[in-house]
Amino acid sequence: MSTVFRTIAVPVAPPRLVAFNPPPLQAAHCLAVIPARNESASVGAVVAGVRATLGCAVLVVDDASDDATAARAAAAGATVLRLPLGLGAWGATQTGIRYARRHGYAGVIALDADGQHLPATLPALFEAQARSGASVVIGTCLERLSRAKRLAWWYLRTLTGLKLLDLTSGLRLYDGRAMDILAAPEASLLDYQDIGVLMLLARNGLPVEETPVAMRERCNGHSRVFASWLVVARYMLHTTVLCIAQLDAGRRSGRLRHAVRTAC
Amino acid sequence: MLTGQITSAILGIAIAGAILFLVRRDHLHGPYALWWLSVAAATFVLGVFPGTVGWLGRVSGISYAPVLPIIVAVALILLRLLKLDIDRSRQERRVRRLTQKLAILERELARLGGTPVPDDDGDDS
Repeated sequence: MSTVFRTIAVPVAPPRLVAFNPPPLQAAHCLAVIPARNESASVGAVVAGVRATLGCAVLVVDDASDDATAARAAAAGATVLRLPLGLGAWGATQTGIRYARRHGYAGVIALDADGQHLPATLPALFEAQARSGASVVIGTCLERLSRAKRLAWWYLRTLTGLKLLDLTSGLRLYDGRAMDILAAPEASLLDYQDIGVLMLLARNGLPVEETPVAMRERCNGHSRVFASWLVVARYMLHTTVLCIAQLDAGRRSGRLRHAVRTAC
Repeated sequence: MLTGQITSAILGIAIAGAILFLVRRDHLHGPYALWWLSVAAATFVLGVFPGTVGWLGRVSGISYAPVLPIIVAVALILLRLLKLDIDRSRQERRVRRLTQKLAILERELARLGGTPVPDDDGDDS
């Protein structure tokens, strides 16, 4: 046996830090996912805007609306999925992500149906993704946040260790890696699409990038998440429990990414 | 005259009988029956052997031993409730994923089969 294996002295270079840079996402290979509940007034314009700006396929997920949301979206040229039971914004978004994976899209761009997210700002997300190689790019608009919200975000940031500034922006670009994680059963019980999703991404070591974009004031109505003080209190309590259960989510991501880079 | 022992023994046997009847009639799912049969067995044992309560009291350091069966019963109820919530969470996850899959498949059905039958029976939720 000893004749088969000989020890050869080979100078081995110390492992270099290799940045893992996937090819940038092309808008044409992505699916725009627009969760919508009773947004018949604005969904048509949003769909038309996205198709005009990015030229990609658009999917509207009708979250058990009572009005003509699905019809208006289809008329504007979107593919429409109708959920028989209301699942909320995240449930509808996850449906879109599962659809995208099933049909082989390279990435998903999620935006709201109420006109708050401007289609003209979408290319900026793709540029940020190409520049940074991040798995997820969030379009942020800190000006729209009230004092109370900023305080709440600071509190949640400290609790989770997440380094992100705009925690509830629904304008996001997800790549294949993020889609794999967010389509899984592990992501199905997240009731709010912000903190839970971000922590899940952080736990898996996916780089998340933020880029500032312009946003419009909501066309109709006020925020559903913060409709009343009671709702806000419940949201903060619910999120706090989730955060306490995963206190080091944000910090874990930094360590994990470092470990992944040095391993290659 | 019924002593506490006999009452407890009869109760234990009655509960066991009821549980087995429910399983036979398919009203109670098998795995849950095991839990309730253990409850019946414990009731029987504690009743027929009252010394057990005293012994448990000495072992656990609870000064008023007769309260021990009550404490144990409450603890078991709380555990059962917790298990119910865990199960409900699991079911919620499954229902959500099924709903999503349903919407995706309905779309594919529409794409493949022309005009779908309108879904207006309105009894989904």
